[in-house]
Amino acid sequence: MLSIFLEHDSPSLGVDFQLPIGTLSAIVGPSGSGKTSVLRAVAGLLSTEHSRVSFDKDIWADTGARYFRPAYQRPLGFVSQTFGLFPHLTAVENVEAALTHLRRRERNREAQNCLDIVGIGGLADRRPNELSGGQSQRVAMARALARKPRLLLLDEPFSALDHSTRKRLRVELKRLQDALAMTVLFVTHDLDEAAELSETLVLLRRGKVIQQGPTRELLRRPSTVEAARLMNFANLAKAEWVGFDASGITLRWGDVLLTAAEGPKSQPDDTIHWTIRTSDVFLVKDNHPNESSLGTILPAKVVEVIEMGSSALVSVIVNNSGGEVLRLQLRPGALHRHHLSKGSSVKIALHAQAIVLLDPSDASLSANQAKSKQ
Amino acid sequence: MDWNAFHLSLQLAAWTLVLLLPIGIVTGRWLAKTQTRARPWLQAFFALPLVLPPTVVGYYLLVFTGTRSPIGEFIMSWFGVSLVFSFPGLVVASILVNLPFAILPVQRAFEAVSNELHDAAACCGMTPWQTFTRIEMPLAWPGVLSAAVLTLGHTLGEFGVVLMVGGNIPGETRTLSIAIFDRVQAFDPLAAGRMAGFLLLISLVTVALGYGVLERRGPQRQKST
Amino acid sequence: MAGVPLIAAAASIRPALEEISTRYNEVTGESVRLVFGSSGTLANQIANGAPYVLFLSANTAYVRWLAGLGLTQGPPVTYAEGVLALYSRSGLFGETENPLMALDSALQHGVVKRLVIANPEYAPYGTAARAALEHAGSWTRARPFLLLGANAGQAVQYALQGDVDVALVPLPLARLAKLQETGQLQVLPKETFPSVELHQQMVLLPGADQKTHEFFAYLQSIDSQEIFMRHGLLVPSPVNLTLQP
Repeated sequence: MLSIFLEHDSPSLGVDFQLPIGTLSAIVGPSGSGKTSVLRAVAGLLSTEHSRVSFDKDIWADTGARYFRPAYQRPLGFVSQTFGLFPHLTAVENVEAALTHLRRRERNREAQNCLDIVGIGGLADRRPNELSGGQSQRVAMARALARKPRLLLLDEPFSALDHSTRKRLRVELKRLQDALAMTVLFVTHDLDEAAELSETLVLLRRGKVIQQGPTRELLRRPSTVEAARLMNFANLAKAEWVGFDASGITLRWGDVLLTAAEGPKSQPDDTIHWTIRTSDVFLVKDNHPNESSLGTILPAKVVEVIEMGSSALVSVIVNNSGGEVLRLQLRPGALHRHHLSKGSSVKIALHAQAIVLLDPSDASLSANQAKSKQ
Repeated sequence: MDWNAFHLSLQLAAWTLVLLLPIGIVTGRWLAKTQTRARPWLQAFFALPLVLPPTVVGYYLLVFTGTRSPIGEFIMSWFGVSLVFSFPGLVVASILVNLPFAILPVQRAFEAVSNELHDAAACCGMTPWQTFTRIEMPLAWPGVLSAAVLTLGHTLGEFGVVLMVGGNIPGETRTLSIAIFDRVQAFDPLAAGRMAGFLLLISLVTVALGYGVLERRGPQRQKST
Repeated sequence: MAGVPLIAAAASIRPALEEISTRYNEVTGESVRLVFGSSGTLANQIANGAPYVLFLSANTAYVRWLAGLGLTQGPPVTYAEGVLALYSRSGLFGETENPLMALDSALQHGVVKRLVIANPEYAPYGTAARAALEHAGSWTRARPFLLLGANAGQAVQYALQGDVDVALVPLPLARLAKLQETGQLQVLPKETFPSVELHQQMVLLPGADQKTHEFFAYLQSIDSQEIFMRHGLLVPSPVNLTLQP
């Protein structure tokens, strides 16, 4: 486990979470969420008022024991947003800079080897100002990997690159991580990037962990309204708790009854917030044979159709609902098959498993979690 | 031509450089990275010789290190040297008035080494000392050279402070610029003019050489590809 | 250089002293190092620990001041009397026996635009110059046109380089600067500034050794006096001399 506990007053930071070793984890948050601070604290480049950072059984920082291991003694590699290559050194010398513990001759061989691994062995004698963004990133990666670190930290590693280079390097990072079975923690503001690369996801906002867990699960089931917003869930609605039985929780959404598979088994104090992914809202043909398997079928009216390249975003208002708009994602073919346009009447299906009930509170939940773990 | 004075000027410049550059590097590096709130005051203090007339600096040196001052007495009794009207005193004075020339360019150069590079170096496993020698110094080198050139040029030409604390003692404190002044005082414009021309030439060559090296060996040596 | 006496002397006696030291070297084989400056500057340096062993001032006041500080050794000796000269640029006055009177009339006619003297507040020759102007009744008229040199040497520099009509400066320096080539140079007799004495005193300083004492004595010899006189200084009466060992 990589466990990270950090507390600081200004800028405000208060996180406490564990990440599995040997996998790729991502910290996602908007700018100013403190994600870079977390990364720098783990690296030992930043000391917070209270901290406890350990990797496996190796303690890197513990303010309680007045212990702080400086960055240069932590077994980690670090790639910053703009790569931080030493401008006066060539590519291979940049990598050698991370190999000061080796003898000079071995240093050069090993550095060349690292450049070969990231696929730019031929650019060894170039200086940083003669390298493209993608090449610089590879040199930085080679340098970070050179000491065979236990932990690789990446701060927005792809943000300074153009779109196609970014896509290619993401694939390579994944491949590299698979090959080296290394623990990688990276920070990004790009949820898609995190979704594509990471196995574990930490959602950060205003210095607090909003939600944390396996990426796939997190993307499907945000736990709070805040988390849903951070993960760009377009459908957010309110409903009343009605009852609970074997099939799940029954909700009243306007005059419409919905069933959610999971949720509180007793009447909560507040209104229930719920969400559903745009890709989990299905259009149903009038004569669909097996309606119940799709969940609750509801008649609705199309209020907007936006075609976007390979897909289309359709907004509908369910008849007799609270009036809140639901958005669903369609393939363009589907759009024409259903002859959809503004004003069309349609039927949509909301599956009980896809309806996710949210905790309305702001971050209070995760704060409580943080306290209970201490 | 007073070769004696020229020789003395060179000696003074050499000693000043040798002793002042380490001070400039340490202080400049510290000022570049320190978080202390006193920084503007410290910078102002080190820049004082730039704004004060040299005679004022000389006056304070005379008052505080003269043989009748406590500091002067202490130095005299412990080291057996006087810091006024002597070559060691001239070196001390020269170091003081050259502080801004040695510190400010070095400070700017170290400030230009971004924190990102410090972070990168630390994460490469470099100790702070290794970071300093392998990353910061090579990058700040033009600033250090610039400081050296300015100090050298300024020492060769310094007059006011040298006259105040050094007097005009041949072979001891009569530097080239003082010798020029002395010839003017003696109504010998020919000799004064000759020496002034020589000093001008030397200074021009020194500074031009310095800038030449700077241009050829900047931190980002561009390779023509 | 160690062991060679380091001697501080007023700039106004520079040509004389340089010749004396050369002669001294020829006669005795010994040499001295000479440092010239304004008397005030040198006295200040001595007060702050300058390693001079003998001080030849252009007046008596600085010697007295140093003696009061206990920084001198033995009694001061008057080695010469200063001589004040009046320089006027060519053609300003025409032939005249009394340059001060000619100056006063030139001032009245508004012909004199710039008049140089050393600062009378602390430069001995400046004090003498003011006394001469006061004695001639020209001081008030002259004041708006005064240009003050920080010391006698600077006053001569101004006269030499500046756009100057008249200067009242020490004769030896004026001669050294060859002021006679750009105008008229006339000696002002002692009677023209009766209130001011231009006794020039020298005094031994605590670091003086045997060699210094020897040079100190040589400075009072007939040889030296002859040289002082040749350079436009007056020397004290021989009676004074006989008192010296």
